[in-house]
Amino acid sequence: MKITILDGAGSDGGTLAALHASLVAELDARGWEHRSFILREMDVKPCRGCFGCWVQTPGMCIVDDASREVSRAIVQSDLLIYLTPVTFGGYSYELKKVLDRSICNILPFFKMVKGEIHHVPRYERYPRLLGVGTLPQPDAESERIFTTLIERNAINMHCPAHAAGVVFDGEGPEQVERKLHTLLTAVEVT
Amino acid sequence: MQKKALLLVGSARRPRSTSESLGSHVLERLKTQGFDTEVILIHRAHRSEEQHAAMLDAANHADVVVLAFPLYVDCLPALVTKTLEQLATSRRAGTPKAGQRLLAIVNCGFPETSQNETALAICHQFAREARFEWAGGLAMGAGAAIDGLPLEERGGMVRHVIAALDAAAAALAAGTPVPQETVALMGRPLMPSWTYSLFGGIGWRMQARRHGTQKRLYDRPFAE
Repeated sequence: MKITILDGAGSDGGTLAALHASLVAELDARGWEHRSFILREMDVKPCRGCFGCWVQTPGMCIVDDASREVSRAIVQSDLLIYLTPVTFGGYSYELKKVLDRSICNILPFFKMVKGEIHHVPRYERYPRLLGVGTLPQPDAESERIFTTLIERNAINMHCPAHAAGVVFDGEGPEQVERKLHTLLTAVEVT
Repeated sequence: MQKKALLLVGSARRPRSTSESLGSHVLERLKTQGFDTEVILIHRAHRSEEQHAAMLDAANHADVVVLAFPLYVDCLPALVTKTLEQLATSRRAGTPKAGQRLLAIVNCGFPETSQNETALAICHQFAREARFEWAGGLAMGAGAAIDGLPLEERGGMVRHVIAALDAAAAALAAGTPVPQETVALMGRPLMPSWTYSLFGGIGWRMQARRHGTQKRLYDRPFAE
C-alpha cells in the first residue's frame, strides 16, 4: 500500500500537526508505505488556468515547480490523503494550490460518469481518496460541504473509493485514533 | 452617500475571462443604478503587498461585493480561497461594516450547472463566517462558450444569462435577495451536453495542433 499525504495546514501547522502525527502512527502500525508533502513549505504557484498541461505539455503543467512532483506522487499512489483545516466547508489555500495544478492527471476530453459529464482519465488507475479535515467545533454545514467536496473530487479524479471525516479541536488522542482507524478501513485496498 | 460595488474576479486568464464578462455585466447595471464601481483582479492583487491590502480594504468597505470565479476542481480557485481566508481573518479581528452584501457568480467547464453547487455552498458559508449578508449565488455550466467576451457579443445563446444577471443586479440595487427564479434562469443550459462535449473535444484537438502536440495528447508522463 503506497500512500501520499497532502498536508494543507497553514503557517504554523495548527491542530493538523497532531492529526498528522496520529495518522502517520496508524499507517506505520499497518505497515503501509507513506510519503508526506508539507505544502506550506513548498513553493507552488497558483494555477494560471491556461490549460497548457492538456495541450502544450500533455500530462504535465507547463510551470516547472514542485507541483510536478506532487502530481506524479498522486498518480503512483494507492491511497491519497488530504489533511486540511476545513475552510468554509472546503480546503485550505495550501492544499488547493496543488490540487488546482493536478488536473494534468486527467484528459481534456469528456465522458459521461454517473449521469454527468466529466473528464476522461489519462491513466489506467487512480488512488483511493481520503479527506480528513479539522474544525474548531462541530458545524453541520461545514461538515456536509466538506464530505460532498471529497465525493465530487473522487468522481472527477476517478478515485475507485473515497471517505471523508472531520476531527475537532479538543478531541482526545484516543478519539482521533478511532476516527482515523475507521476512515482508513473504509478506503483500505484489499 | 453614493453606494459602492466591488467586483472581485477570481480567474487568472488573460486578456479576458468568462468570470470577468459575467461579473462586469452586473457591475455595469449597478453603475446605471448610481453605484460607484470598482473591479479588482484577484491574481493581480496578490502580486504586491500594497495591492493586496487595497483589495482587502475595498472588500471591507464596499456595500456590495460581487465575487465571480471559474470552478477549479469542484470548488474555488486557490487564490480565491486565499483571499476569502484573509478577508475572514481581517473581519474577525474587527467590526465589519454593517449590511455588506455578497453575490457569488461561478461558471464551470462542464455543461451541467449543478456541478457548481459545492462552490456556491462554500461561498455561502464564507458569507456566514465573515459576516456578509448573502445576496445569493448564480451558477452556469458551459462557461467556455462565452470565452471571456462581452455577453452582448454572444448572441441569443446567452439571452437568458443576460436576463438573469440584470435581475440579480436589480435585486442588489433594491437590497433584496436574488430571487430563486433568477437562479434557475441563470442555470439553464446554454446547449445540449452532447453538443458541448463534441465541440469541446474538437476545440482541444485544434489547440493541440497549434502547439504541435496532437499525437501526444494522451501522454502519461507520471506512469513510471
